Amino acid sequence: MPEAALTCIDLWCRAGSADEERGEEGMAHFLEHLVFKGSDQLPAGAFDREIEALGGSSNAATGFDDVHFHVLIPAAQTARALDLLLDLVLHPAVLEHDFTTEREVVLEEIAQCADQPDELVLQLLLSRGCPDHAYGRPILGERSSLMAMTPEMVRHFHRRRYRGSNCSLAIAGAPDARLEQQIRSSALMDLEPASLAAIPTSAAVVRSGRHAIQVDRLESARLLMLWSSAGAADQNVVMGADLATTLLAEGRRSRLVGRLRETLRIAETVDMDLTVLEQGSLITLEICCREEDLASVEQELERELARSIHEPPAEWEMDRARQLVGNGLRFSLESTAQVAGTAGNQQLWERQQDLLHPLRVLNSWSADRLLQELMPTLSSEKACTLIATPGAGA
Amino acid sequence: MGGPQLLLEPRATPGVMAAKLLLPHGSARDPEGQRGAHQLLAALLTRGCGPYNHEQLADLIEGRGAGLRSEAHEDGLLISLRCASEDALELLPSLAWMVRAPHLEPDQLALERQLAVQALQRQREDPVQIAFDGWRNLIFGQSGYGHDPLGIEADLINLQRSALEPLASDLQQQPAVLALCGQWPEPLTQQLESLPGFASWPPPDADPGLRPETIEERSEDRWHASVMATEQVVVMLGQATIPHGHPDDLALRLLACHLGAGMSGLLFQRLREEHGVAYETGVHHPVRAGAAPFLLHASTSAERADLTLRLLMQIWRELREDCLDEAELILSRAKFTGQIAHAGQTCSQRAERSVQLCGLGLPQDFDQRCLDCLDTVDAKAIQQVADRWLRRPSLSLCGPQQSLEALNRLWSSQSSLS
Repeated sequence: MPEAALTCIDLWCRAGSADEERGEEGMAHFLEHLVFKGSDQLPAGAFDREIEALGGSSNAATGFDDVHFHVLIPAAQTARALDLLLDLVLHPAVLEHDFTTEREVVLEEIAQCADQPDELVLQLLLSRGCPDHAYGRPILGERSSLMAMTPEMVRHFHRRRYRGSNCSLAIAGAPDARLEQQIRSSALMDLEPASLAAIPTSAAVVRSGRHAIQVDRLESARLLMLWSSAGAADQNVVMGADLATTLLAEGRRSRLVGRLRETLRIAETVDMDLTVLEQGSLITLEICCREEDLASVEQELERELARSIHEPPAEWEMDRARQLVGNGLRFSLESTAQVAGTAGNQQLWERQQDLLHPLRVLNSWSADRLLQELMPTLSSEKACTLIATPGAGA
Repeated sequence: MGGPQLLLEPRATPGVMAAKLLLPHGSARDPEGQRGAHQLLAALLTRGCGPYNHEQLADLIEGRGAGLRSEAHEDGLLISLRCASEDALELLPSLAWMVRAPHLEPDQLALERQLAVQALQRQREDPVQIAFDGWRNLIFGQSGYGHDPLGIEADLINLQRSALEPLASDLQQQPAVLALCGQWPEPLTQQLESLPGFASWPPPDADPGLRPETIEERSEDRWHASVMATEQVVVMLGQATIPHGHPDDLALRLLACHLGAGMSGLLFQRLREEHGVAYETGVHHPVRAGAAPFLLHASTSAERADLTLRLLMQIWRELREDCLDEAELILSRAKFTGQIAHAGQTCSQRAERSVQLCGLGLPQDFDQRCLDCLDTVDAKAIQQVADRWLRRPSLSLCGPQQSLEALNRLWSSQSSLS
């Protein structure tokens, strides 16, 4: 990306919350925080100061399946930033004092989430829909699990997960050709290989059912649904699910927005998201509406979902959904951060491919195939449904 | 010649482009008793214009996989389009139709008004929004910046088509600016003036009108608290300052970098790294044509709210009394330089900055000029600017009753700030 002013270095590791064992709940995310407290070579704060003095920025994110640490930096400073990032992530100090202070910060983060009703309701949906799976647990963990942790436990988690074949590195922008040599002689190459023993995982299958709760401080009602879908490795079905959710709920002419908001005017917002995950992707639907419209919304929603199972999408609906998904992909490849993020994740899970390859997969989905293979998985009977209304409660 | 001023930036992309059309009248010019009118008008523009009714326009845009947004902010109304390069010729005219021939269908108006009221109600779930609303009202009162662009429910519910018609007819008289960034078909720029909607766009009114009155200091009251049964207390401490491009603005933005940019920022270091009292803390100092807020904020648990407020007040005092040391100054300049690079990564970001500068009456190379004179702004100049513009901060809080009472006592006892 020769025009890019900033190069992105993105280091990924298979060390998400789903890799936590009993008693480690919240540790993957807590470790992500602790990494920024310094390494054996870098005192606390030195990494941020140096990266920012070079005109760059850094951040990290922990997911269910993985964690990644990224730096955006002017191209000329890439070599130095790479050295700093690898040292920080691969050799974190995890000192007692930092551990205690940073735990307070994470507890503040948990409190902040609890004060956002939307976050609260979404977490409740996941815990009801995936009660026996890691995807049902909050990535941030709980206060009790964090308070039971010690620095040594966190160091042990780091040693166990941050290993050679568990890591990948992606760089996007205008990097110097000499970087390749730098990487070959870097600390990345010294990492121990990951254990060959298969890690026991189970597919995330959503437990269907209907739950109703009251949530303090809600100003409008929420209707949420959760469904399982194919894991990230099944790219073909993932792209089909992307098409289906777009057809149902993206834009004014989608079926659900069109019916519930534009025509009947009983919903304020209708959002449907596909979260692509390794052990089974998750599809969420969230509708905000007035409490008095809730029953009508639920009834109409069921009717539309049933129609989607029996009535194939019209050709214009298919074209529209294909265009939206395709352009969404192209828009997402504009910045170096997005490109490095996508490439790094693909490499991590051994699925490296041309970044626009999903566009070709999209074309294998016809209206009939969508009707037969995908729409039946998005019925109201197969969903975990959560109704949240204002009132003293959760 | 009529039509918008055109700013072009060809740029390599994965076959996409962004267009931003800015009209310089925003929510700060909402008429009295009609707060929310510009945002309601902006939303309505996407619901029928020129040859398209609301469904036809949605079919056109969504059918091409494009994105179209229209929203008012304090100082303007911004229409944003992003699309595949090959669709630009077909989709760009819709931007012109939105300005020149909006339908303002009463039925669609009723829907947008209902959605705006519901969105305002939902904003009340967010303690950060509540704290900011309180601060804004304290500082700006009934003046232009005193309300959210979305409006005020009591005004919104009475807004009819007759109220929006004068604002709509004013749209094409305003000095509009259109920026394109990315890749587009060769003939587009030559044909733009003759494209449907753009053709016969009249010249703008020579007099763009006075800038909205946005200055603060309407009230002696400098404390606001909203009670909410939350786990955390949101603390906001700040003052209305100066417009973007003001001679003191660069120094103030360097100060904002020192305080809030990145993880080495003073707020992050002191509140989060040294004391662990907040997960989120930062500076809110947006680009404004008028008096821009300069606001420190942090969210903290009730039992540590006292310490958090003390820390914020201490930092505020230091800004006015102490000079940055050499290392801090160099770091702030580096962050400022980095911020400009970070803010120009996508076509959408670049096009928006272009129209923003134009709307503020600033040259297109304004950012480069700032970079060129960064080294001339020294620590003493920054301290003097802080002393000039950060003399009377106001405090807004949102959280549990008991915490707020304790914080009020603390604030009242700190006479130098309160």
